[in-house]
Amino acid sequence: MGWRAAPAAPCLACPAHSRAFLPTAAAAQLTRSCGPSQPWRCRSGGTSSRLCSSCSPGRCWSPCGTRAPSRPCSPRARMTVVTPGARRPLARTPGSTACLTGTSWRCRPVQKAELTRLANTLLHVPNLHWLVVEDAPRRTPLTARLLRDTGLNYTHLHVETPRNYKLRGDARDPRIPRGTMQRNLALRWLREAFPRNSSQPGVVYFADDDNTYSLELFEEMRSTRRVSVWPVAFVGGLRYEAPRVNGAGKVVGWKTVFDPHRPFAIDMAGFAVNLRLILQRSQAYFKLRGVKGGYQESSLLRELVTLSDLEPKAANCTKILVWHTRTEKPVLVNEGKKGFTDPTVEI
Amino acid sequence: MKSVLFSRFFILLPWILIVIIMLDVDTRRPAPPLTSRPYFAPYPGGRGGARLPLRRGGPGRGREPHNESWPRPRPPPPEPPLPTIYAITPTYSRPVQKAELTRLANTFRQVAQLHWILVEDAAARSELVSRFLARAGLPSTHLHVPTPRRYKRPGLPRATEQRNAGLAWLRQRHGHQRAQPGVLFFADDDNTYSLELFQEMRTTRKVSVWPVGLVGGRRYERPLVENGKVVGWYTGWRADRPFAIDMAGFAVSLQVILSNPKAVFKRRGSQPGMQESDFLRQITTVEELEPKANNCTKVLVWHTRTEKVNLANEPKYHLDTVTIEV
Repeated sequence: MGWRAAPAAPCLACPAHSRAFLPTAAAAQLTRSCGPSQPWRCRSGGTSSRLCSSCSPGRCWSPCGTRAPSRPCSPRARMTVVTPGARRPLARTPGSTACLTGTSWRCRPVQKAELTRLANTLLHVPNLHWLVVEDAPRRTPLTARLLRDTGLNYTHLHVETPRNYKLRGDARDPRIPRGTMQRNLALRWLREAFPRNSSQPGVVYFADDDNTYSLELFEEMRSTRRVSVWPVAFVGGLRYEAPRVNGAGKVVGWKTVFDPHRPFAIDMAGFAVNLRLILQRSQAYFKLRGVKGGYQESSLLRELVTLSDLEPKAANCTKILVWHTRTEKPVLVNEGKKGFTDPTVEI
Repeated sequence: MKSVLFSRFFILLPWILIVIIMLDVDTRRPAPPLTSRPYFAPYPGGRGGARLPLRRGGPGRGREPHNESWPRPRPPPPEPPLPTIYAITPTYSRPVQKAELTRLANTFRQVAQLHWILVEDAAARSELVSRFLARAGLPSTHLHVPTPRRYKRPGLPRATEQRNAGLAWLRQRHGHQRAQPGVLFFADDDNTYSLELFQEMRTTRKVSVWPVGLVGGRRYERPLVENGKVVGWYTGWRADRPFAIDMAGFAVSLQVILSNPKAVFKRRGSQPGMQESDFLRQITTVEELEPKANNCTKVLVWHTRTEKVNLANEPKYHLDTVTIEV
């Protein structure tokens, strides 16, 4: 099943400031019949040299932010948007708030292990919908099977980060932070799943698969009205980074050594956003290109909220409820070049 | 007179029935946990998901068939108690300790009838682990035994004393009473366990084995099985070991532990990588091993390791005004 874009359905408009935000045609597998060839430019400015992904019926795609020259659209080029199965209503008990957790993955040997122990944690959390976005050209059977077997409410998406975005480029063209396209796809899915003025209570949290989450964290974030923040352990070369909270319970700064002057000097695991805010600010996405290290979170949060609006959780940001653990890359020297173990045995 | 007696009988009858029902319910209820429930009580299994939690009782139990004929059918015999799984976890103080224990507890809480034996490598019980276990929400025992400094060298086996302390506790607890069914396994705090593994190991009669992922320099290691019997080892490192298996790759029935009171992990004369073999050959033979996980073809446990954290920016002076436990 897939999202079948109706001919008149809005497509992936390139937002203002010629900022690429979404998967390319190849990555997102958006297909649609193209009409007569049209040059594509970002809608916001005809002088922009970037080619954006804006399209309308009859227009073709081009990767956002690349330097590919415009080319005529082949009448046969198709774009398909793959759906996350059915559009499940978020499981919720009446009167309570659903938590939505987005996780982005790439294929690697520890993938199933990470997924398993994250699922073991999430199984404890009521009213949770797990948005899983694979960095892959298609949904892998491994992930699909595992998600199905957990019994959790989930949505399984995928978008592949193009190779040139993964490889380290020159100083003007650094690689994009990992997981950006996947998180943006999840944001887009949310905006498609819910109308802009939806009254559905919900909180969105970005949960990387190798972090460690206490169950208390999910209960703390559930009361988020706009954007809530809390300390995160093992980031920035410290035992923990934390928002600086004054006596009145307002966030006034950041307790961090690494670039404390960032607008939001916080890790991805250190904040949650109310779903309504995500839906209202429909153009707010993580910036893909030109983002300095450590500024990815700021690229989204500055579109959503100001410092004074932040809600400190975890006892005024004095408790650690999430740890930025990282899993060692497993040593597979005995596999050899051709692989030794049976590849059909799933790990 | 008669009417008084009748009225008193009918007044007392419902109360007698209530007492009988309460006694019946009480005998069916499983044993209470050994530690008190924390303030933050975890939710059992999933919520409304299709997957049935591994815990018994509640909606998982079968109902009696509705039968209107007389005489009433007998209630089904009480189900045999689930064998308790004893997980011995050695742990030591380091920055990621609480994180590791947190996600391990999140897994163990999903498993019915599991008793967690946490053994610290320390001279005394630390406050961090004590506080953590008090709120963990699962039956647990907190032990401690320090490793002598001379054994803390690279290349020497680790956690030997702690695992032996766990074994000693089990033997002391169950030694002079009729052994209840139980299964013991060694759960390192940085490994990853699927919930299916616990279902598999619970049927262990003596010693069961299964594959382990991401160990021995390979994607997985596993016992080789023919006709339901272990005949060899598929491993990337020292396949000549009597039991070429990782600590996470086997479980032992409680009965076998109690029947072999001298079986412990060796320190003296033990070579690197031989800990498991030295222990297992005291209690079993290769022929007696029970292969699990679909004849050892499924990976249900992964030997994941957590990176050492980067604390390069921790200040020596001008510390934070509050002390926060990590």
